[in-house]
Amino acid sequence: MVEAHIVNIQINAAKCTACKACELACSFTKEGVFAPSLSRIRVMQLHDLGMNVPVVCVNCLDAPCIAACPTGAVRRDASVPVVRIDEDECIGCGDCVRACPFGAADMNEERGVAMMCDLCDGKPVCVDHCIYGALSFAQPMPTAQVKRLAHAHTVVAQYRSR
Amino acid sequence: MLRDIAKQRVLHVNLSTRETWVEDVPLEDLRKYLGGRGLAAKWLYEQVPAGADPLGPDNVLIFSTGTLTGTSAPSSGRSSITTKSPATGLYLKVSVGGHLGAAIKYAGYDYVMIHGVSPNPVYLWIDDEKVELRPAEHLWGKGTREVDDLIKEEVGDPTIHTGIIGPAAENKVKFACFMVSRYNSASRGGIGAVFGSKKLKAIAARGTGGLRPAKGKEFFALARKVRGALAADAGSHSLYNWGTAGSIPGLNEMGMLAAYNFSRVTIEHGERLSGQYLEDQGYLIGRESCFSCSTACHRFVRSESARWGGVFDSGPELETVMSLGAECGITDIEAVLKANQLCNDLGMDTISTGHVISWAMETYERGLISPEQADGLDLRFGNAEAQLALIQRIAHREGLLGDLLAEGTRAAAEEIGGDSWKWAIQAKGLEQSAVDTRAAKSYALAFAVNPRGPDHLMTETYAEFGFTQEARDVIRKVTGDEKYADPRLTEKRAEIVLWHEQCYGASEALGFCVFTSTAAFAVNPENMAQMFSLAVGVPYSEDELMLAARRMVTIEKCFNVREGARRKDDRLPWRMMNEPVPSGPNKGMITDAAMLENLLDQYYTAHGWDLETSIPRQSTLKYLGLDSVCVGIPVIP
Repeated sequence: MVEAHIVNIQINAAKCTACKACELACSFTKEGVFAPSLSRIRVMQLHDLGMNVPVVCVNCLDAPCIAACPTGAVRRDASVPVVRIDEDECIGCGDCVRACPFGAADMNEERGVAMMCDLCDGKPVCVDHCIYGALSFAQPMPTAQVKRLAHAHTVVAQYRSR
Repeated sequence: MLRDIAKQRVLHVNLSTRETWVEDVPLEDLRKYLGGRGLAAKWLYEQVPAGADPLGPDNVLIFSTGTLTGTSAPSSGRSSITTKSPATGLYLKVSVGGHLGAAIKYAGYDYVMIHGVSPNPVYLWIDDEKVELRPAEHLWGKGTREVDDLIKEEVGDPTIHTGIIGPAAENKVKFACFMVSRYNSASRGGIGAVFGSKKLKAIAARGTGGLRPAKGKEFFALARKVRGALAADAGSHSLYNWGTAGSIPGLNEMGMLAAYNFSRVTIEHGERLSGQYLEDQGYLIGRESCFSCSTACHRFVRSESARWGGVFDSGPELETVMSLGAECGITDIEAVLKANQLCNDLGMDTISTGHVISWAMETYERGLISPEQADGLDLRFGNAEAQLALIQRIAHREGLLGDLLAEGTRAAAEEIGGDSWKWAIQAKGLEQSAVDTRAAKSYALAFAVNPRGPDHLMTETYAEFGFTQEARDVIRKVTGDEKYADPRLTEKRAEIVLWHEQCYGASEALGFCVFTSTAAFAVNPENMAQMFSLAVGVPYSEDELMLAARRMVTIEKCFNVREGARRKDDRLPWRMMNEPVPSGPNKGMITDAAMLENLLDQYYTAHGWDLETSIPRQSTLKYLGLDSVCVGIPVIP
């Protein structure tokens, strides 16, 4: 059974400065080259708003990419609760890319297969390279509890600013 | 396209013939000049004939990414643009951050060299291998922000990166800039006017390729280690927290905050110009990095001023708040934010704009510019409304004064006459950045010999203040003793300037922000040489790196020599050499002519340049392997 508090890469967009160190670390680790287009995590730089939002696979419980894959290459093994792509079975059809609501799955144009974050076997290199605290991984609490706590802090800040 | 970092490529674009072609860079040239600013200096020397009109078809624009730009090396995303300056008639290199360099790199090019002049306005669209000159009549006359939106709409991709000139550059204002990635400015020396003269409104790029380092794993590990060291540096923390303008309180206290056209060194309410104030008062809304940066000194600000109107912009940088603020006697931060945004949108260097206006204000107060000549503006210090109006008039060359100031302070002072040249804070035709060089002797020397004119952006010798142990370590390494970390001393200044010159040169050739190597010190010649070696796949030592940097400094000097510049041109603005610091801890300090001559003797000697003329000796050129490159200058054995 998949637990409801899957450990994901947590994103704090307010701290992201769009340095793209995560993209460089990811593409190098996964493909041996520095190429944002091959990174599994991408930063959306909303320049006109002055905001940046990193986007990466969130490991949906009911993952549309798994359902969309015609060969069963996209799956979540019972042993590791992370959606992954078996590249040997991937036929490069792009169905998972179209199915993902976040753009977290993409085509690897160099090798003709799909790609998405696999959490680097529990030590995501993007998190290691994010010195601004926009990405984090160690998460001792369930996701919703993390969110509740953050919300509580926001409310307190609002009271204090009155 | 995935390619090896060692295999550099130049994209040539001839605007006159509309031809484009690609040229490979020999590995030997990359080793000898480090790429980036270094190779660009050599090419500028070869491409632009002596005496060429900077705004004519013979001038070229060389956009160079750093050799390590696009890799995980921390803060390595900066680019240089090299050309002949319309402000000085001499060599010009402008460094800029943002993300355009990385986009061009991933498209498959390390350099873009622009030749000729287009008959009609165009913009260059680089979409990976596909390169296109597109019509830009509909963009001509528009501000940089609007054009950024329009190009992204036209291309159909808001995630591309651009470099754009504004109306000021189209009107060939001598201090027009080139705005990169919407918010980063390639500012100085009238770089934008060269784009304007070529009718090149913008460069836009999308790159989906990648770069392969020769020894990938080792490179990646070293780059991560240096990133960590930089992130831990105290200087980086201050830059992250408050940006460059975080130095304002310290400068005000030290009596080094240039104000009222350099006639004062402190200003009442100066703290209102600080990065700390911007955060405390809620103007700061976010922090931003250049590509691959581990400091994030760039910021976003918002102001909803009843008096000056809304502002949403980047910055403001330290030099901007000093030049447009303190130098013009203005400490109303909302007015300064407005002026900054206007300059960015019209495409003008905030340093020169501020100093042209502060010169006009002093000249007006002294009665040499009459109210009629000022076209009805009350140009007394502190009048922000007049300043904002004047910024518009300069950009559009409106009215007598607007048109005159658009030529820069040197030309304006020549026209107005009298003693007004004495408070024109310029040398070689470039307005000095707002750094008080009277109280810091390496700075004074570095500013005097700077090939593009007196500012801190070719060689900044911050370490001479010895504020941190790392800074004192650099001074010990360079001079043999920590005691020389004292800006009031005149001994050992040439050694300090030469080391910084070379450290700057190497940093910029590789794409590193100089904050990483000369303000923080975690990037240093040793690990720069290692990163170059691992990325390119050739053995490379610290000595080779510094020698390559000395080569670029020497070519830059030779370019100016060929244009007729000599020792007499290595000067500081008159006020810096003749009026002592008026108050504060540095009261009475000055870099007078005798002191400067002494510093210049030290410097030329250390370089192997002729003392009388400052021309690099043939023996020096031979030693550097430049005797066949730097031809056409007087031969001094």
